[in-house]
Amino acid sequence: MVVRSILARLAKKAPVPVFLISGIGGDEITDRLRLDDRLHVTDSPRPAMILMIAGRLTSDLKYAALQVHDQMAEPRAVVRWSPAERDPAAEVFPHFVAVDAVAAAAAATLAAAAVNTRDDLLAGSFPSSPPLLPDVEPNPWRGVGPWGQGGTGMTGGVPYGRPLPERAKDRDGLQLDQLLMRVGPFLPALPEGLILEVRLQGDVIQDVTVGANPFVEEAVPDSEEEELPAFPGPADLAPFLASLRVPVAVAELELARARHHLRWLGHALRVHGLAALGRRVLALSARVHSQGAGSSNALGSAEVVELRRSLERNFTLAWATRGIGRLSGDQLAALDGGPVARAAGIERDERCADPAYLALGFKPVVYAGGDALARWRLRLHEAEQSLRLAETAGNSMTTVTGTAEGPTGPLGRGPGPSSRLLPLLPELLTGLEWGDAVTTLLSLDLDLREAALTPPGSGVAPAWAW
Amino acid sequence: MVGEALSTAGLALAVVAVMIGGTYVAAVLDVLFTRLTMRVAVRPLAAAALPLRRAAQLALQRRTLTERPDAGTWALAPAVLAALAAVSLAVVPLTGTLIPVEADTGIVVFAAAMALVVVAVYLQGWSPNSPLSLVAAYRFVAEGLSYEIPFAVVLIGTALPARSLALVPIVTSQEHLWNVIRQPLGLPVYLITVLALSFWGPLALPEGQDVAGGTSLELSGVPRLLWRVAQLNVLVAVSAMGAAVFLGGWLGPWLPGGVWMALKTLFLLALLVASRQFFARVRTESFVVVAWTVLTPLALVDVFLAGIQAMVAAR
Repeated sequence: MVVRSILARLAKKAPVPVFLISGIGGDEITDRLRLDDRLHVTDSPRPAMILMIAGRLTSDLKYAALQVHDQMAEPRAVVRWSPAERDPAAEVFPHFVAVDAVAAAAAATLAAAAVNTRDDLLAGSFPSSPPLLPDVEPNPWRGVGPWGQGGTGMTGGVPYGRPLPERAKDRDGLQLDQLLMRVGPFLPALPEGLILEVRLQGDVIQDVTVGANPFVEEAVPDSEEEELPAFPGPADLAPFLASLRVPVAVAELELARARHHLRWLGHALRVHGLAALGRRVLALSARVHSQGAGSSNALGSAEVVELRRSLERNFTLAWATRGIGRLSGDQLAALDGGPVARAAGIERDERCADPAYLALGFKPVVYAGGDALARWRLRLHEAEQSLRLAETAGNSMTTVTGTAEGPTGPLGRGPGPSSRLLPLLPELLTGLEWGDAVTTLLSLDLDLREAALTPPGSGVAPAWAW
Repeated sequence: MVGEALSTAGLALAVVAVMIGGTYVAAVLDVLFTRLTMRVAVRPLAAAALPLRRAAQLALQRRTLTERPDAGTWALAPAVLAALAAVSLAVVPLTGTLIPVEADTGIVVFAAAMALVVVAVYLQGWSPNSPLSLVAAYRFVAEGLSYEIPFAVVLIGTALPARSLALVPIVTSQEHLWNVIRQPLGLPVYLITVLALSFWGPLALPEGQDVAGGTSLELSGVPRLLWRVAQLNVLVAVSAMGAAVFLGGWLGPWLPGGVWMALKTLFLLALLVASRQFFARVRTESFVVVAWTVLTPLALVDVFLAGIQAMVAAR
């Protein structure tokens, strides 16, 4: 008891281990949470004490959130913030700490609530959240002995109703077992919401199926329930979507682009093992945001130049990305522009058609490699270019042409950039090692929230009008 | 008889003290380097307390179980890793007189123990019956042989000038010139291979973010704490051995031998710990290719040159 009390007193000042889940409207908040010193964001739910849900969960995300919850070690608790008054998450988590705050203050309030809840959990004054899914075997046990022996076949047949691993030839022609794995939608290394069913031999991918986008809301025909608020799309895209309808300050758009690229870079560095540097870049992206459009001083461009130079000299980063995830000519043509295409030498950028950009002497950044390394370098270069444009743009406004160059590609003309990329994944990832597949996915900068604006089968989405 | 037992217990305590102290220092260094990289304020007292606070938090957390794990081997993995680190450290002479285990084949014992790290990591990845954890375990096995060969070869190189596999003669053979200068290829190859062996920094292949922590993905509570401690134990052991066989161990002017040994070990430990702030995690395949085509040939050149030097010196 004494030992426990000493440990609890020591633990009270440790950062709270949290597993972050970002729902609709929570994408910006999770970034701010990552910058909070009071929290330690974990890669796996296992060591987390707090499941932190920022944003509203769609029905597809709810079940995955329950699975994450039950994987966490006890003592555990759920702390959540939702922008919507009606929150379906409340229906699946019987006990949770609800944070009531406006979006701007949500991150700080969530972090404070996490600290208090952790302290209460350790003190025993807040009950640990019980398992929420039934504790039953996913398939009936059909083996005879405790280890599956005694059934039919060499290792007991199909003790859990699952067949033994299928065997197939690997790339060297050897017959090897295949491991079926479902990952997502909350695997921190993947784009938020991405679900993949992967068949592996060793860690080489034999085939991939992309799961349904969990950010797409299920339509409930003739429902008597109150309608949920319309999905606003990712926060990063808001000014670009607005520029489809009304003129927007060039400086505002370019700051948003720089910020998006830096956020992407922060996340990518973390996944590539440079977590502390990634956090520094994330902090830089937050500062770019707070400067506001039009201010010409200290937008962070000097820091981005320094960052770009240091990352271009980092040979291990180049080693990890060079030659990985090259797209074929047909695949690039399907993209219709955007950073991924520009990183493969295709000089296409919607900004070239805008007189405001032409007056600023804008020329698109183009790289030739077409691999993950070229995409890294292109985004770094574009972040630097965007900050310079924001500094020199003054009050110039964009011209409404019905299309806009978003940070991930062209908007307003057919499906969005991520919707164009998602169908390419099975072909692109098959044959890669798992680590290379993650490198490829990172470099494509997929955004499932953006893809939810133009879900498959919806044609040219009316969502562009939002 | 009693005196011998007391002496053995004292030496065992010395090994445990070095392991615990070194592990704590490594954890504090990691906090300091992380905060410096993030360019946020560094408060030394807070940095010194943070590893203890995190450890206390993990100690209060319950462990979780996966679906049908091999619970026995899962529990065994951190113990195996820590035991291998302890065995490795036990043969390292801490001063000219404080030698926990003085074996005639000390360097062979060290290399043999470190070669078995692959078993502990594989057990950790395989036991929870979890796909990403298993993939991470495969990775470590895949790279195992490729780092072990250059690792062992550069260690043999340090034994040649001493004409002995015992560590005391290897240290004393550096009285006039340390092996880091006499065998300039040795220490760089050693440091790269021990990064792979201790799955740390750019060579944390079985614990990468792409596999959500890989072999430690399913760990929580005390097992997670033990695994982290065991990993740092390995870093301490390889740093101490590096200090002994490349940097002249306890040899040095003015200061007591133990202080020199501690400073040299701390230097190598800091280099290894800091590596994860500067270098991105490399691809398994790229590392294996480089290990076979660059590190192994360099290690062979190193041992060849060391052999020639030893022959010339003998005449």
